[in-house]
Amino acid sequence: MGRTVVPTGRTALSRRLDGVRARAAGVADAIGARGAFLVTCCVLLVVFYYPVGTVLVAAFTHGGDPSLAPLWTTLTDPFYFGALAGALADPAGIPGAIVGWIDAGFPAVRTGLFGFTAFLALLGTAGAVAVGLPGAYVLARYEFRGRETIRSLTVVPFVLPAIMVAVGFTTMFGTNGALNDLLGLVGFHVEVAFGLPIVVAALTFYNAPLVTRFVVAAAETVDVRAVETARTLGAPRWRAVVDVVVPQVLPSFLAGVLLVFVFDFMAFPIVLALGGLRLATVEVWIYSLASDLRIPEAASLAVLEAAITLALTYVYLRAERRGGRDTVAASIPRVPLLGPPSAGRLLALAYACIALVLYVGPLASMVAESLTRGGSLSAANYAFLLAQQLGSGSARPTVAVSNSLLFAVGAVALAVPMGVSVAVVTGGEGRLRRLSGALLMAPLAVSGVVTGIGLLRGLVFGVDLFGYHLAVTGPVAIVAAHAVGGYPFVVRNVAPLLARVEDDLVAAARTLGAGPAQAFRDVTLPLVAPGVVAGAAFAFAISVGEFNATIVLARDGASYTMPIALERYLSNPSVGPYLGPAAAMGTVLLVVTAASFVVVERLGGRWER
Amino acid sequence: MSLELAGVERAYGDATALRGIDLTVRDGEFFTLVGPSGCGKTTTLRCIAGLETPDAGAVRFDGTDVSGVPPEERDVGVVFQHYALFPTMTVRENVAYGLRFDPPAEGSVDDRVTELLALVDLKGMDERDPDALSGGQRQRVALARALAPAPDVLLLDEPLSALDARLRDELRLELKRVQRELGVTTVYVTHDQSEALAVSDRLAVLNDGRVEQIGEPEAVYENPETRFVAAFLGENNCLDGRAVGGETRGSTVRVGDTSFAVTGEHRGAVTCCVRPESLDVNATHNRFEADVADAEFLGDGYRVHFDWNGRPIIARLDDAPTGRVTIGFDPDEAVVLER
Repeated sequence: MGRTVVPTGRTALSRRLDGVRARAAGVADAIGARGAFLVTCCVLLVVFYYPVGTVLVAAFTHGGDPSLAPLWTTLTDPFYFGALAGALADPAGIPGAIVGWIDAGFPAVRTGLFGFTAFLALLGTAGAVAVGLPGAYVLARYEFRGRETIRSLTVVPFVLPAIMVAVGFTTMFGTNGALNDLLGLVGFHVEVAFGLPIVVAALTFYNAPLVTRFVVAAAETVDVRAVETARTLGAPRWRAVVDVVVPQVLPSFLAGVLLVFVFDFMAFPIVLALGGLRLATVEVWIYSLASDLRIPEAASLAVLEAAITLALTYVYLRAERRGGRDTVAASIPRVPLLGPPSAGRLLALAYACIALVLYVGPLASMVAESLTRGGSLSAANYAFLLAQQLGSGSARPTVAVSNSLLFAVGAVALAVPMGVSVAVVTGGEGRLRRLSGALLMAPLAVSGVVTGIGLLRGLVFGVDLFGYHLAVTGPVAIVAAHAVGGYPFVVRNVAPLLARVEDDLVAAARTLGAGPAQAFRDVTLPLVAPGVVAGAAFAFAISVGEFNATIVLARDGASYTMPIALERYLSNPSVGPYLGPAAAMGTVLLVVTAASFVVVERLGGRWER
Repeated sequence: MSLELAGVERAYGDATALRGIDLTVRDGEFFTLVGPSGCGKTTTLRCIAGLETPDAGAVRFDGTDVSGVPPEERDVGVVFQHYALFPTMTVRENVAYGLRFDPPAEGSVDDRVTELLALVDLKGMDERDPDALSGGQRQRVALARALAPAPDVLLLDEPLSALDARLRDELRLELKRVQRELGVTTVYVTHDQSEALAVSDRLAVLNDGRVEQIGEPEAVYENPETRFVAAFLGENNCLDGRAVGGETRGSTVRVGDTSFAVTGEHRGAVTCCVRPESLDVNATHNRFEADVADAEFLGDGYRVHFDWNGRPIIARLDDAPTGRVTIGFDPDEAVVLER
């Protein structure tokens, strides 16, 4: 112990640095070249960090000089922050204000735009928990045919294009929608006001499956032996569940709830489409400000929104790490769903009805709507699409379909190497790696509207550099933007599998004569292939459904995709009061999205981590 | 191929794994690194394989420094503790993997794989998936895979630790047979001292990142140079005492109130190590009385635990005595270590 080590020529620091360098080089080499990672960084820089940066800079400048004035103006505007704004603007006045508030008999406190957004997100989260938790119970507790399929399907709503879901919800819950048609048969009629209830329902549609997946995955990591131990120690069944299962599931559940809240807080197209400006959330308001070219105000709003969502995302990532993800010898066995009636089975039945209305309803009624005109079966809507195709309209259906597929293939081809290289480079322990990992995942946490505005200002309008005017639009920019939106999902699907590849496997290949790149191809890649395939499916579906960036970057009908065409039909006055053509386009979109998942399911992709 | 490690050091952050390892492995030798977990034996092995880079010191293959030579360019075959079989490849593909980069000098890859599978007694298992094999079979595949490219050095990292006892004994013999047949220089890592004693031509006892002693198993067992080695290899009763006055060709060690005669010249603070099998109720020398605390039946005799004035003493006896018993040992049998 006491022997001192005499440095042999080199300093300890230089030796340590050599070690670090050698390890970093080894990792980077593992994917053939550092190139892939470098390309990823470049793509991110061009289609994400630079454009978003150009927007956010507006929040930190005033009259060309660096300034916090725009942020401060927003923070102290009661329209945005309600009573909090007053408190920030005049801290000394807080006690007086509180006294005045008490004197006035506790009137409702003004919460501002952020308050309302949080309120809406809270409602959406409550809906997701109310629908998602029973679903998790049914999937975790019961065994039945199609259980695995339904479990796989829980991932689908997440990637369904919002514009299509909006059409689905309108055809289902609208005044002349399928729900009223059905209720009409028994003499009822309900007026589902467009606005808050339908937006909350749509947010629930999107996020309840997320809660379900988090909870089911956590429940499957509960070791049945722990429950059995509790039972043998004298705990009745319910106590064993409360003492053993609940504590293990809770961290994952809370992580899921947090994530849902973040998604709800940032939800944009669905809120805009179903709520309009009457239900202005922060994100919708940013969009509206940007449309009026009030960029500094929009930017400062976006910065404050990003601060909130990034803080919540950080908390989520911490909570997620706490959730146990170890594989267990035996998880709790499921009981058959079919059997003598019990409270649980009745609940499952009731739940199935709700799920049917909420999930199958909108999609089925959209398909039905596309096949009817004036109350009778008709192919008129599809005929309209064909006519558009043949005519001079800018939104040609087959062009939109082929564009969508082409862009999606391109986005996947770009997103997969990006995602895999990021997963490899940021895998493992270390603060620096965690930080760079978080930075590279930023596209998930930054407002889609801001990214869209940034793309418009930074790429479409272009920059003057060394006397040249550089502008990036059209298919290349669209593919790059789609890849940026999709690659985090490749990372998230590949990274957990990568972490599970034993170091010794790669070491074995190395000692048998394989170089780092060869060992990666022969040993690591086949083991993470399911994650790569699943990530590719996500990237594909996200590309097919992407709206915000595409509508900014597609200059003309030649690069329209299906969601853009759908939106055009929705707002096309020549179509008249019918949702039909949009529903028909939405049906095509649904078929393509669903097909990509079926294909991957056949290829053996896995959704769950 | 001979191996030499000279002053090899390795640290992970603040934790030092190797504090200067010096050892030489002769050509064709079965050399074992043995020590408790965390002693640095696996790190040493990985430095030889090129999977770890030493912070200081040199690893030499036949006198050539291999620093900076990546593992794929060192002619080593490694068998990992948990097999590390490629799960996406069949048994045949696993064994053939190294031959992709180093095709056999004569004959086809297929013939070589078949030959190797025969060598480890796995004929006809070619198309199985590693998952479908038992632990022992997986270990045989791992061995065949490591040997297929005819490496100059075979490195074995606790290859038997994941197997049950009977299988372990069986495979140990087989490993030794294969090694002898091929004459490949072999470094074997284990924490199991009885395994180390059984298989090695020579062994090195490692403790806390340093080499405690190197030698042939019998020599190290019978003449441990440190108290750690004495206690780690086999069982030992290590009694701290003082060596006083010389007798003719020997010394006297006082442990508590009792004096023991030992051979050799010793002075001052010493530890007197007596193996359990050296203690005997019929011994004529160095007799002392101790209380029987417990006795375990081992089949060929008993391991008897004594309480000697508060000191635990273990003896291997043919019968299980009770009560207070007089035992002793021959002066030749004790190993005296300076403290």
